[in-house]
Amino acid sequence: MSRKPEKLIDKKGLRLDGRKPDELRPIKIEVGVLPNTDGSAYIQQGKNKILAGVYGPRELHPKHLALPDRTVLRCRYRMAPFSVQERKSPAPSRRDIELSKVIREALEPSVFLEYYPRTGIDIHIEVLQADGGTRCASITAASLALADAGIPMQDLVTACAAGKVDNTIVLDLMDTEDKEGGADVPVALMPNLNAITLLQMDGILSLEEFEKAANLALEGCRKIYPMQKEALKAKYVSVKEVEE
Amino acid sequence: MSLQSSGRKSGRFVLPGERLGVIEEFIPDAGTYVRDGVIHSRVVGRALLDLLNKRVSVYPLVHGAKVPKNGSVVLGQVSNVQTQNATMRIFQIDKKQLSGFFTGILHISDVRLRYVESMFDVCKPGDILRAKVISEKNRTYHLSTKDKNLGVVHAFCLRCGYMLELKRQEMRCPRCGKIEKRKAALDYGEGAM
Repeated sequence: MSRKPEKLIDKKGLRLDGRKPDELRPIKIEVGVLPNTDGSAYIQQGKNKILAGVYGPRELHPKHLALPDRTVLRCRYRMAPFSVQERKSPAPSRRDIELSKVIREALEPSVFLEYYPRTGIDIHIEVLQADGGTRCASITAASLALADAGIPMQDLVTACAAGKVDNTIVLDLMDTEDKEGGADVPVALMPNLNAITLLQMDGILSLEEFEKAANLALEGCRKIYPMQKEALKAKYVSVKEVEE
Repeated sequence: MSLQSSGRKSGRFVLPGERLGVIEEFIPDAGTYVRDGVIHSRVVGRALLDLLNKRVSVYPLVHGAKVPKNGSVVLGQVSNVQTQNATMRIFQIDKKQLSGFFTGILHISDVRLRYVESMFDVCKPGDILRAKVISEKNRTYHLSTKDKNLGVVHAFCLRCGYMLELKRQEMRCPRCGKIEKRKAALDYGEGAM
């Protein structure tokens, strides 16, 4: 359907959707959207629409997976068949399974797993609409869902990607930029502890370019963190005031 | 506010990971953790700075993440009964509904203070039971009903499945007239399901 555009960055230095190279897509975050879960969050980042829900800590089934000293974090990332232009098969693809693992490992350092031995925490991430950078948006949303479930955490996790498009380092790539561009560096950060929990790269970057991209992505994470905070505040501070 | 009169200051809204102070100025209390000498919050809540006792804690605004603890009162459904033991699916802990369930075991010696002949006189599969957690050793939650307000809160007739009525010491089915035995809680049949 969509043809490869001639240029990903125009003469004025603006991108396909009119953003500057270091500009994020508009983000909307909501917390506590699913009443049947223990904690949930919804994120809209540009054309991405992602729901995250958390259950637990609860008894783990099958029971033999349970660990005697800590809780088991399980993560399930799925894309809806209608989330992309060509229908995606609803069966978990290789990519879905890998992203589930990557997201789980990005969130694991932030959770105090040892507080709930012999239990399990399930994170479900449903991508309703995808437009590049879903793993980062999923991490941002899943971390909020964990906080909404009242699970003790070291820090929230914020994620953002940067990459190379037409020899320029740009922030928060969208789908066409990701596919046609040169490289992609997703980064997840615990902003208060200043610790990186996820760092990946695909494509080819020189050492200087990589450093520039990683720093740009970290900057993006620090821009998203206040939005995460606002989203949690919007839910809990208003609830508190009603109680008083 | 009562919090202010006791020397505490109801503080600002904090997120997990937010910096609250250093261990040189405060003693970390509930809802906090220490990393490299810095006190951080570990839940979403309000920071409470107790300047008199030099304590810092976080009052949680989220009430989630509950697991059975020693002493917590739990509600659940009896899933299996043997002569000595009954197993129960715990779906509520201290009035907090769970998204999943935990499994607990009630042994015959923890049912009443006095001697109990058989577990079948205490509860039957399907009954809604209120119990207290007395031990979480050996990877299982051991329960007790040794109290007036602990025991079966809702029981069902073994023959027709109708809800039983409490008649003095016995249970009677209002539909088919079957008489059964249970260890009933003081408020049997009163609470909503």
